[in-house]
Amino acid sequence: MELTWGLMIVIYLFTAGLSAGAMITSNLAFLYGGQEFERVSRWGAYLSPFPISLGLGLLVLDLGSPFNFYQLFLTLELSSPMSYGSWIILFFTLLSFGYLYLWLPQAYQKVGQTLQLERWKKRLAMLMPFLSIAVASYTGLLLNAAVRPIWDAPLLPILFLISALSTGVAAVIMISNLSPWKRARHKELHVLTKADAGLIILECLIILIMIVMGRSSSASESMAFSSLLVGNYVWVFWLLIVGLGLIIPLFMELMELKGKIPVKWVWPVTISSSFLVLFGGFFVRYVITYAGQTNSWF
Amino acid sequence: MTVRMGFVIITSRCIDCDACMVACRSENDVPLGHTRNWVKSSGVQGQFPRVSEMFQPGNCMHCDNPPCVSVCPTGASQKRSDGIVIVEDKKCIGCKYCLTACPYDARFSNSETGKADKCTLCLHRLEQGLEPACVQTCLGKSRQAGDLNDPSSVVSRLIAQYPTRILLKEVGTGPNIYYIDEAVPDIPDGK
Amino acid sequence: MSKVYTWDQLFSRRQFIKGSVAAGVLGTAAGIGLFRPESNLGQGKSDQAAVKGTKLVTTICEQCVWRCGVIARVEDGVVKMLEGNPDHPNNLGKLCPRGNAGIETLYSPDRIKFPLIRAGARGSGLWRRASWDEALSYTAEQMKKIKDKYGAKAMMFNSTDNLSQPFFEILLKAYGTPNYGTQRSLCFNSMTTGFLYTYGTPQPGTDFSKCKYMIFTGRNLAEGISNSETQEMIEMVARGVKVVVLDPRFSKTASKATEWLPVRPGTDSAFFLAMINVIIKEKLYNEAFVNQYTQGFEDLVTEVKDYTPEWAEKKCEIPATAIRRIALDFAEAAPAAIAHPNWRTSNFVNSFQTERAIAVLNALMGNWAQPGGLIPDQELSTLKLGVLSHPAFPIAQGIRLDGVPWQYPMVPLAYGVIQTMRDNILTGKPYEAKGWLISRQNPVLSIPERQKTINALMKLDFVAVIDIQASDTAYYADVILPESYYLERFDGLIPIKNKIFIRQPVVEPLYDTKSSLMIYKELADKLGLGEFLPFKDEKDLLSQQLKPFAVDLEELQRVGHYEMEDFQEDHSKDFEFQTSSGKIEISSGIMAQMGKKAVPTWNEPPRPEKDQYYLLTGKTAQHTQMFTQNNRWLLEVFPENRAWLHTSVAAKIGVKMNDNVVLESEVGKVSVKAYVTEGIRPDCIFMVGGFGHVSKGLKAAYGLGASDSALHKTITDPISGGSALSETFVTVSKA
Repeated sequence: MELTWGLMIVIYLFTAGLSAGAMITSNLAFLYGGQEFERVSRWGAYLSPFPISLGLGLLVLDLGSPFNFYQLFLTLELSSPMSYGSWIILFFTLLSFGYLYLWLPQAYQKVGQTLQLERWKKRLAMLMPFLSIAVASYTGLLLNAAVRPIWDAPLLPILFLISALSTGVAAVIMISNLSPWKRARHKELHVLTKADAGLIILECLIILIMIVMGRSSSASESMAFSSLLVGNYVWVFWLLIVGLGLIIPLFMELMELKGKIPVKWVWPVTISSSFLVLFGGFFVRYVITYAGQTNSWF
Repeated sequence: MTVRMGFVIITSRCIDCDACMVACRSENDVPLGHTRNWVKSSGVQGQFPRVSEMFQPGNCMHCDNPPCVSVCPTGASQKRSDGIVIVEDKKCIGCKYCLTACPYDARFSNSETGKADKCTLCLHRLEQGLEPACVQTCLGKSRQAGDLNDPSSVVSRLIAQYPTRILLKEVGTGPNIYYIDEAVPDIPDGK
Repeated sequence: MSKVYTWDQLFSRRQFIKGSVAAGVLGTAAGIGLFRPESNLGQGKSDQAAVKGTKLVTTICEQCVWRCGVIARVEDGVVKMLEGNPDHPNNLGKLCPRGNAGIETLYSPDRIKFPLIRAGARGSGLWRRASWDEALSYTAEQMKKIKDKYGAKAMMFNSTDNLSQPFFEILLKAYGTPNYGTQRSLCFNSMTTGFLYTYGTPQPGTDFSKCKYMIFTGRNLAEGISNSETQEMIEMVARGVKVVVLDPRFSKTASKATEWLPVRPGTDSAFFLAMINVIIKEKLYNEAFVNQYTQGFEDLVTEVKDYTPEWAEKKCEIPATAIRRIALDFAEAAPAAIAHPNWRTSNFVNSFQTERAIAVLNALMGNWAQPGGLIPDQELSTLKLGVLSHPAFPIAQGIRLDGVPWQYPMVPLAYGVIQTMRDNILTGKPYEAKGWLISRQNPVLSIPERQKTINALMKLDFVAVIDIQASDTAYYADVILPESYYLERFDGLIPIKNKIFIRQPVVEPLYDTKSSLMIYKELADKLGLGEFLPFKDEKDLLSQQLKPFAVDLEELQRVGHYEMEDFQEDHSKDFEFQTSSGKIEISSGIMAQMGKKAVPTWNEPPRPEKDQYYLLTGKTAQHTQMFTQNNRWLLEVFPENRAWLHTSVAAKIGVKMNDNVVLESEVGKVSVKAYVTEGIRPDCIFMVGGFGHVSKGLKAAYGLGASDSALHKTITDPISGGSALSETFVTVSKA
């Protein structure tokens, strides 16, 4: 079939995951890291609302009847991931802005009393991980429900969730490293990098399992997966995702963790590896979205 | 018994003239660049001079379990009680989710309305007691439509008489176009 | 000085609106999408359009020449849907894709909306708008000038098969020219002459309903759709009747057949001669029939003695065993068996012999006037319309430019040889042609060697074209007289057996156009020949045609047809053959008279040299000849023609599906996309005709595909006058 969902949707899937990942990073850092991880929590909170807002904007633009989009919120169709997903994302986005507000320097907090706000911050930080997981895995369920080869892979929500966390962590690493103000410290970064490396390894495993399952499934499914391995998407898959998006950043992160990177190289390597993780995460969404559509049942 | 509208398509009677496609475009104001129905060709199979070619007309299968309906976030895509799958334009936001969900690629995004668009089984014609446009015009009587639950309908009689197949059975959509590949010398009378 | 327009300006939306003030304005749907007007259509002029609500109007289709019955649904003055008329025998309620697409052309932005007079060099595409009075006066003036200076013979009249053709013929006879060109020699001359000189009738019918064995050799009913006959073919296939298709290409008809025989082009007659050989040798022919109704059987026996299946296999590359088997089975099924007369089997010089062999094969088996066989001419069983009374025609002075009969003594006068007419415009022999009036014909794309036809048009003093769209020929005209579309006009009535059908306006003309009936009539008036077309308007004419019948025009318009009850089919002359001997001529009297071999015989056709291929041409179900390619609904289902190449040929020149290839013949060169397939002989290249338009006035079709007429050589069968299109050989290379 011709391409129904294009780049706009890929960006949407990517940004939703990125926001959710950044949110969880912030929440966990805040809940379990305390003062030590304050910078990471803050950057996660600052970052989280924006990618998903951009994604939502593009999503509405991609609609055939954009002015009709309110119809989404006149109903809840439980059989449609897009329906419940829209509600989840609506809440997530609104709350993420609230969460951002709670992390603003006091001077900017015009409403509310400091103590109360701190209490809300904690409550939100405990609630948001659940919403974030819902947002991140919903993007997988969205594709799952449109029963197409690749899209119907049962592990897709997990893959998107892990990839979301990985890109969220990477985004926080990157932004807190780039910022001259409240730049993250070595210890924080070390933990984040460790987490990210773990997530990448997990992601590789999931992709491997998905491929093995797909290849041993029906002929249509098998064909679709071989379009990644040897077909139309061979370059995107092996070079952009596996090579640049997974193996190289993993290698860089492992080297970093082992302290094998000379000090003057640490900063550029950190920036590069986190950028590559984002890059890879984008192309994971891209390849799944596209390959799922260019392959169909036969 | 409830009504279950669907098609029987006799591929052996199709000559790939595409009259059904043009008639549908005319009847339903389908914009250029899109079509609600189609005739697919197997392409020339085999090796010269032992070759064959088969033509397979199709359109929305008005499935029993239509994935396009279940994924619709606004309830615009609906399965009517008579089995016909339709889009209620007013509710459609044009998210194209249903397009991706249809394993038969039977839907398109109408560039003029921005809505999901598809075969309606010519509902407006059925209401006037007419056959769908594609069925009405078919030179080979290859396309037949009617109530699959009514044993006295043409479609039921054909299904009773000849072996049939459905497309993508394994996807579980329960499509309501039944294909007959055998030669059918006489189209039975019926409703 | 009035404004000069280019094609682009003429068909721009602004000009479109300006130009159609009288007829109203199209709706908002410019650009892509449907060009259906909103309900404001026709304000001012048309009462019909102002009417709200839905009405059904019965009329006759003109998307090809088959004349199917149509019921048009008009909603608020806009044609919404065309459906087949179940009462019409030509289509039994069904329409083909072309018939379904009529509405698109009606509302096409490329319609010619008012008379045009050329305002720049010929073919420059510069035009000015003219009133009907001016355009007709100008045309008549030029025609008179030519007649006065060079005689009526210097003016040529051309038209193709259509319902108003009889009135065009009256106009040309009244004018007094001997030069009349039709499409026939490009189409079926070998079939019609072959059968005429055998049975005395050019086109016998075929009874598919009872037929048990059918052989097609150039009748591709799945792609050259003749609606009712195509339906009969499908039913025949569904009944499990044995259908054998001889075609170098795996056509869609072949895909439905029980047997496809990829015959070497030009050698079909070897196949049929061998069948005759087997049937005679095995004494399988219908002896009683042969004795009673035929003549020349003994000569045939001598002639086919050596045409054994083994001999034929070497010629036509169909296995001898298959030929023998088919001959036996065919004889077994006779007389409910038909070797179909076919249609455009005229693609070799020897095709006349092929058709004669087919005609004779049917005669040997007595497949005549029997259930499942050939059907004698039905003219006796067809109602006769009232005729116009007019003065005697002047006697046409001078010999014909198309060489009939002085160069082609055996070509029936009515058929003509249009390609020779074109050649003689260029040579100026036997005399110079000066003017050309062309109604609904597009010689630029139909006659071989397109460039020559364009050169011929450029050479003339005056060219006038009557058409609905700017055809390639109209592009080179001096005057374009825009005809109303078939959904907007009346035409002559059409009797089919005991019924009379009518084409009538479904909506009033959208633009400043006229029916061809009125164009011919008013042109005749301006030429001072009005008395030859003595009618006031279309309705007056049709009423005169209806005079012999107990029905008035209003009733006919309302019902859509008239049926004469208690009508007896007359079969008394079924076995009276209009040949010189009064019998079926296995040995043709006229051939003998001309000093030629009188029984069907083998003539070796030319073969391509190494690295050359036969160029085959044919039809597609989605377009009609060269005049529907601009219909965008049809372009949706058949967007352009491609060159069919066998897989091995494609591999040899390194071409994949849809790559561009260059085809080159002795006379031309085109570039076209490749369609790579196992469904064609490796020594052939096939392309659908009618694409490769040169007129920029056909905005949707311009530049799509390539024209076979740019490649075809002009080769004429001296007996039938048929154009031997497939004797053109081409080379192919990667573009």
